[in-house]
Amino acid sequence: MSHERLAETHPTTLSRRSFLTTAGGAVAGLTLADMLTARQAPAQIKGTNLRLLIWSHYVPAYDVWFDKFAKEWGDKNGVKVRVDHMPHLELPARYAAEFAAGAGHDLMYFAGQILTGQYYRNLVDVSDLAEGLGKKYGGWLDAAKSAAQVSGQWYAVPDFFISIPVLWRKDLFASVGMGEPKTWEDLRKAAGQLKAKGHPTGMQFSHCNDANHNWRALMYCYGVKETDPTGQNITIDSKEMREALKFAKAMYDEGMTPEVFSWDDASDNRFLASGVASWIHDAISAFHSTRLTNPKVFEQTFVVPEVAGPGGTWNVGEPNVWAIWKFSKNVPAAKEFIQGLADSQKDAMQASLGYNMPFLRGQYTKPMPYLGNDTKLGKLQDQEKITAFLGFPGPMTPPAQEVVTTFIIPDMFTRVARGGAIEDTMKWGVGEIRRIYAKHKAS
Amino acid sequence: MTEVSPGGPSPPGSFSVAVGQSVRTLPWWRTPTARRYLFGYTLLAPAVLYVGLLVGLPFVFSLYLAMSDASVSSPVARFVGIDNFMSALENATFYTALRNTVVFTVGAGILKGLLGTSLAFLLLQPFKGRKVVRALIVIPFTLPIAVSVLGWKWMFDSQFSVINWALSRLGLIGSYGSPDWPVWLGQPGLALLSVMFVNVWRGFPFSAIVLLAGLTSVPPEVLDAAKVDGASFMQRFRKVIVPMIAPILFVGSAFDTVFTLSDLSIVYLLTNGGPDGATEILPTLAYNTGIRGGALGRGAAISLFLFPLLLPAIILLLRTLRRRQY
Repeated sequence: MSHERLAETHPTTLSRRSFLTTAGGAVAGLTLADMLTARQAPAQIKGTNLRLLIWSHYVPAYDVWFDKFAKEWGDKNGVKVRVDHMPHLELPARYAAEFAAGAGHDLMYFAGQILTGQYYRNLVDVSDLAEGLGKKYGGWLDAAKSAAQVSGQWYAVPDFFISIPVLWRKDLFASVGMGEPKTWEDLRKAAGQLKAKGHPTGMQFSHCNDANHNWRALMYCYGVKETDPTGQNITIDSKEMREALKFAKAMYDEGMTPEVFSWDDASDNRFLASGVASWIHDAISAFHSTRLTNPKVFEQTFVVPEVAGPGGTWNVGEPNVWAIWKFSKNVPAAKEFIQGLADSQKDAMQASLGYNMPFLRGQYTKPMPYLGNDTKLGKLQDQEKITAFLGFPGPMTPPAQEVVTTFIIPDMFTRVARGGAIEDTMKWGVGEIRRIYAKHKAS
Repeated sequence: MTEVSPGGPSPPGSFSVAVGQSVRTLPWWRTPTARRYLFGYTLLAPAVLYVGLLVGLPFVFSLYLAMSDASVSSPVARFVGIDNFMSALENATFYTALRNTVVFTVGAGILKGLLGTSLAFLLLQPFKGRKVVRALIVIPFTLPIAVSVLGWKWMFDSQFSVINWALSRLGLIGSYGSPDWPVWLGQPGLALLSVMFVNVWRGFPFSAIVLLAGLTSVPPEVLDAAKVDGASFMQRFRKVIVPMIAPILFVGSAFDTVFTLSDLSIVYLLTNGGPDGATEILPTLAYNTGIRGGALGRGAAISLFLFPLLLPAIILLLRTLRRRQY
């Protein structure tokens, strides 16, 4: 098409010089256009190697798809791609080792723990790539910036986030005259009534990822703000936090059993699949695993994106982002790979069974892959409007991460659930958080 | 024969040898004493180098980290003196972790000692298939720790615990959901006991094997003589066996104390220090602060608190061992 237009505007009267200039420009323009449409990587990456490190996804089928994608992308672009998978809890130690050695993977993945703020001085500024993706796909969600930007610059490219909705049993709720839960109060009421019938609820009070997410979802719905929007000043010492603790204590007493103190990230999945749980607050992996292990329970299991509290409706997601070390030996290929993956978002989301929630607004066009074809999961297609991340409304700074890794918030809820006084707990928890922030400020 | 060399007294470290009428002065490094020392130190050098590189350097590096504001992402750190140690002392969780570490190490050590000793005596007795049993007994110690701990995690599961189901079938506890249904990893006392139990399960075969090696080295004539003299089993154990195998016992105890005190894997995989610090030990706190939280300096400071805990125990053991050797 470009050729035709050129031919029309420049008939046979072209000089040799202008012909070469015009033709050269046309060829360059054509190459760029082709690259953008067919995602043909630049020739400079051909014959190179790319090593990337990624977590082991909760949906194994996604890892299969991803490895195949990486191989095909490598074959297409003449890049030898090596993919290493690792459990997400082991990634921080691995990155610390790679950084200390100044060598390792070209492209790495922050999952569970977002270390953009920690390592940004040693990461490639990927603002060009991130802004390009933003323009192409309708802009980034606000929450994306908290995981991938530092001082307005992009040091990571968001891949997807994991949504953690409410999974509830329609039949059990109906047995106590209740319908779909809309608020945390509804959940509390249902759990209280259903516990007596042998169907309690549960949210982790232990040292695991889910405990960090779930209690923060309740906190944010109660209007708690962990820090100010800059992430520098702690604002958790509030009336709202005390109310959230008070509510959690009541919900534990009325609707849970002590087993929640021992739970890990998968315990609530099993709790739902066993048919005991009245509701859980977990990623949709629990939904999928119940489909396989207990079809009868699955039939009655429904999804609510999040329930409301006095401070609104906020769902705490778990972001996953790509980053490139400055010492990477193949930055161009790493960037091209991220671009290629972002362009394949629909396939990725389908392969993950709707687990990988996009960060780009344009990718929320309905019907979304997988979710749009599932009557129960279809409700998650508006998740971008209610998603917040750890440290909200501030970014995921290093002190915010340390608060997460030392489980101060779950421990505060545990203390209160076990009968600790709210004021004593606040004094302890806020004191610990202040100490961590003060140390980071001083360094 | 030593003489004063002409021209005044010899410089320190040198001496003169009279050979007929002539006197020859040797430089100090060629004297027999110096050569003997040199030879000794040369023989010692590989061991010193080995310990220096593998133990000394990491220890000095830990000290450097603990006295700096190093983070996982900051190659250049600032000297902060004892700030990180003070920060640990200001942290309420630190005291919980310290207490748990001592309870965990001492409790597991005692249990491993008792069980290991009993097992060693049992394995000493002649019975059919003894060799096979001796080989099987070390399986917990040889299994990859991640695999065995995950097995225990299932056995301690709050809902599907095989231990609870067995106890329930035996009528010793109620059914799932009843108040007396133990939540092994959720109740503070039980959680600490559970992680300690897994450590004991994994470690006591090692204690038994060490003891067994010691017991088999005790000459039977000595024991027979004690028997003839009317010594009871306990008397033979206390007055004959223990003194004879003391060096093995001390070395085994030293190893076990070090391994238990620095054991991160079992707690990390079972509870990660939860709930609310009930199983928090210094290694998990140091790991979560230093590596996962990125505050390398503070993590190193927390882990160095293990050193004053360990040092007196090891000095005591080694000094006792040395005294016995003379």
